[in-house]
Amino acid sequence: MTKIIDTQLVDLQLDVPTKAAAIAALGKRLADDDRLNDYDAYIQNVTQRETLTTTGIGFGIAIPHGKTDAVKTVSVAFGKLAQPIDWESLDGEPVTMIFQLAVPESSKGDEHLRLISALSRNLIHAEFREQLLQAGSAQAVIDLIGQSLNATLEG
Amino acid sequence: MKIVGVTACPSGVAHTYMAAESLQVAAKDLGAECHVETQGQIGIENTLDAATIQAADVVILTNDIGIKNEERFRGKPVLRVGSGDLIKKSAIIVKKLAAKFDGGGVTA
Repeated sequence: MTKIIDTQLVDLQLDVPTKAAAIAALGKRLADDDRLNDYDAYIQNVTQRETLTTTGIGFGIAIPHGKTDAVKTVSVAFGKLAQPIDWESLDGEPVTMIFQLAVPESSKGDEHLRLISALSRNLIHAEFREQLLQAGSAQAVIDLIGQSLNATLEG
Repeated sequence: MKIVGVTACPSGVAHTYMAAESLQVAAKDLGAECHVETQGQIGIENTLDAATIQAADVVILTNDIGIKNEERFRGKPVLRVGSGDLIKKSAIIVKKLAAKFDGGGVTA
């Protein structure tokens, strides 16, 4: 089974001035890692989703996401920002970490979705967010996510 | 206080589960009993059964999109909030509900 995240999808020094640039940069990583069928269509879908309601959920975290056939496999790209950026967040605070999700339109029943839902739940917990902020390498981020998902899915 | 909730969001991928988790954490912190059903892209999970709904003091439903099988909650006090508000403000929401349904106290 393809993993939902790998080191190619982690950027610990994402240096972008705007939300649009962040979405494009993480989208590029998804495309380069062969997770997308169509980069432009994916970016358009994510951008459209942002206009519905902000994905800046607070706690300095944004979870932009696209659900479209432009996506090959359920994936998540992670970016830690070099400089916090505005995301029109629910709490008005700038964003420091981004989880950008890519989900195929016809993914119902896909077990990767369960991983995304578990990851979403885990982001509510301050301890997990703090560990992510401290993570010093792409592998450390992946290990943290993996550990927390295992604990959630088994628990 | 006993709470039941149902969460859903337009793509059914992330907010649904964050809102559910946030509500459960807030309820646990206050010592309130809480069951939350999620209606996401995966399907319906943690389905609320009739007895649990019957025993609940209050029902919390997200209002981003329609909730399936909403008729189950007829006759119960229902609070509708955005999934974003549940993610950010569950602690405040649950505290206010506790003041109303527990007279400010906390039930085990």
